[in-house]
Amino acid sequence: MSATTLRFQSSDGVVITIDRDVAQRSVLIKNLLEDLGDTTEAIPIPNVNEAVLRKVIEWCEHHKGDPPSTGDDDDSRRKTTDIDEWDQKFMQVDQEMLFEIILAANYLDIKGLLDVGCKTVANMIKGKSPEEIRKTFNIQNDFTPEEEDQIRRENEWAEDR
Amino acid sequence: MSKRHYEDGNPAPLPSKRGRQPNIISSLSDEILLHILSFLPIPSLIVCQRLSCRFKALAEDSEIWKRHYYHRWIRPRLANVRRTVFSHPEVRYSPKVSTWLDHGHFADEGRSMDWKGQYRLRHNWSKGICRVTELEFSHPYGRSALAAFCAGIIFTVDRDNWLRAKSTKIPAYYLAEISLAKLRTPLAALPTAMTAMVGSRPNTIEVVVGFEDGHFGIYNLDIAASALEFRTTCAGSTSGSITTIASLYPYILLASDHKALSLFKITTESDARSRLLPKEPALLSCLEADSILEPLSISIRSVGSDIISSIVYSFYHVGCGWSLGIQELHFSLSDLQQKCSRLTTTVDSQYGVCPPLGQIYSRIDTPCAWGATNTKGGLCMRPAEPAIHHQETPTSVSYSHPYLITSHTDNTLTVYLVVSTSAGLYVKGAQRLWGHTSSVLAVQVSDRGRAVSVSSRGDEVRVWELEALVSAFGRQRARRYGKSIRVSPGNRQSDVSELRSSSPTKANALLQTTGFPYHMPEISGFIGFDDQCVLLLRGNGLDVHMLECYDFT
Repeated sequence: MSATTLRFQSSDGVVITIDRDVAQRSVLIKNLLEDLGDTTEAIPIPNVNEAVLRKVIEWCEHHKGDPPSTGDDDDSRRKTTDIDEWDQKFMQVDQEMLFEIILAANYLDIKGLLDVGCKTVANMIKGKSPEEIRKTFNIQNDFTPEEEDQIRRENEWAEDR
Repeated sequence: MSKRHYEDGNPAPLPSKRGRQPNIISSLSDEILLHILSFLPIPSLIVCQRLSCRFKALAEDSEIWKRHYYHRWIRPRLANVRRTVFSHPEVRYSPKVSTWLDHGHFADEGRSMDWKGQYRLRHNWSKGICRVTELEFSHPYGRSALAAFCAGIIFTVDRDNWLRAKSTKIPAYYLAEISLAKLRTPLAALPTAMTAMVGSRPNTIEVVVGFEDGHFGIYNLDIAASALEFRTTCAGSTSGSITTIASLYPYILLASDHKALSLFKITTESDARSRLLPKEPALLSCLEADSILEPLSISIRSVGSDIISSIVYSFYHVGCGWSLGIQELHFSLSDLQQKCSRLTTTVDSQYGVCPPLGQIYSRIDTPCAWGATNTKGGLCMRPAEPAIHHQETPTSVSYSHPYLITSHTDNTLTVYLVVSTSAGLYVKGAQRLWGHTSSVLAVQVSDRGRAVSVSSRGDEVRVWELEALVSAFGRQRARRYGKSIRVSPGNRQSDVSELRSSSPTKANALLQTTGFPYHMPEISGFIGFDDQCVLLLRGNGLDVHMLECYDFT
């Protein structure tokens, strides 16, 4: 019988012990365990530091009862950027952490968390002007005013929806 | 801030917070950014295009737009169809375009498809947003000019008997031209009808011109080479002037004013160097009619192993006024023998009764045309008053299976759904369409259920999407779908809101058009439309002819 807990080592060298079924929310780890079989050694997670890893684990623990994603729920998933209350609170972190979580979710292949993270970013974009979005994310405008005006005019058709 | 350098005095977009908040979002991979963008509604997606070059490219991603296209245009229709057919509206997005309703022709385009462009095109059609350009083409001489439209190419025949081709994309000059008189000098007869069809080889269009003495000529346009060439001519089957031509390569269906309908096939033979040489078209069938009246519409389509040529004609019915008769002739593709001929009329549906299929044959009680014998059926349980009564002849008829639509002087259109199965031919339901505020001159419908109608003065062009309407025939909600969109060209509109929101240059242009009221010459003909634009022919008798192109891209 396999062990009920697993140990992981973050990129900054901290070892964290996690329930096996929580860890298996990550498709990457799930596949890894299938290849690896039983292991008592700490599994290195080279791309994720301790703070982020703890956040990710917190999310996985809260969502461990969720039905596994079937993959074909693409439609309903995309139709809305509504995020449930717990996730919203969970995502109330600074931008750096938010993007770290998204990167970690992408790396560890945790679809649900990746979606929540991306929806959070999408909600930060929604309803804002280009200038506001640039300010929010510190994006550098590399268009000339003429180019930007040209793009705006090209897309006038979509404004009156 | 001083460290940053912007060319052309472009002001710094924002003061950076001393690098405290680095530009993290830009360090994300395209994959993740696309994932974020996929959650955005269209207005936000559009805004993202203005952020930076990278975001512009990402927000124009075809896959994202394909998904939006599907959700806005395909899914609602699929749900509608499923409800009708399976009563189970379970629909999922599939990236395979070939599984989308009516979008098989998109599948050929493959990955190069610009879905944002397609979305925009559909959006503009649904709102009636377009640009009008005027293409002047005729030397003004009295006789009305002929025009045909196929695959984005406009063909015209002028009084000087030159056939010319022009692309709607580059309207400034002609692609090619050829004199109709060249091979028969002097020209014995004047051209009276014209049609164009996609030819046998890619990038070619075959143009058929019918003449008043009943003969017709076939011309070929090579789009890549911009060359029109004469292919062949045929004496025709009657001496009457050719009034209408329909075509589906290699078949040509002609109607003459001697009330004869003839079907030809274009044939070719190989010469010594195995080049294909055109031969004189072969006559497959010819029918004469006695009791039909204009307007009529002929069409030809291919179904499985059959070629079906059909004619829709008008006749007067004592009970419900002007009605339409539909006759179908089936030819087998293999031996080109006529298999059967079927006839139905719109009378029952004008009374609001839909005949069960088994009874169709016993119920024909209207003038039979085109060689069929007249059968008097008895078992009619019709209401005393017809639901749809037309006092005057329709101004035009258009039939593109299964949609049949007529326009009327009483500001309305009537749409019928024609059902043609192996068991029989019948009309399943009819509905009047309101929306025009003046007499409707002409209407044309496509096989995908989009109809374009134009008022007599040409000042009102409407677009109708009939698919949802006809699939709801016979149910309460049918009426809900009988709505149309008035085409309102952005560059000829005295709309105040438009003026306010647009750039100064556009506002100027607008002031000009409102300052000098645009005088619209009468509509003299209606040419047609494709996925991208509608073409109208204007010109009042002796005046200059003008082609108006309403471009929805």
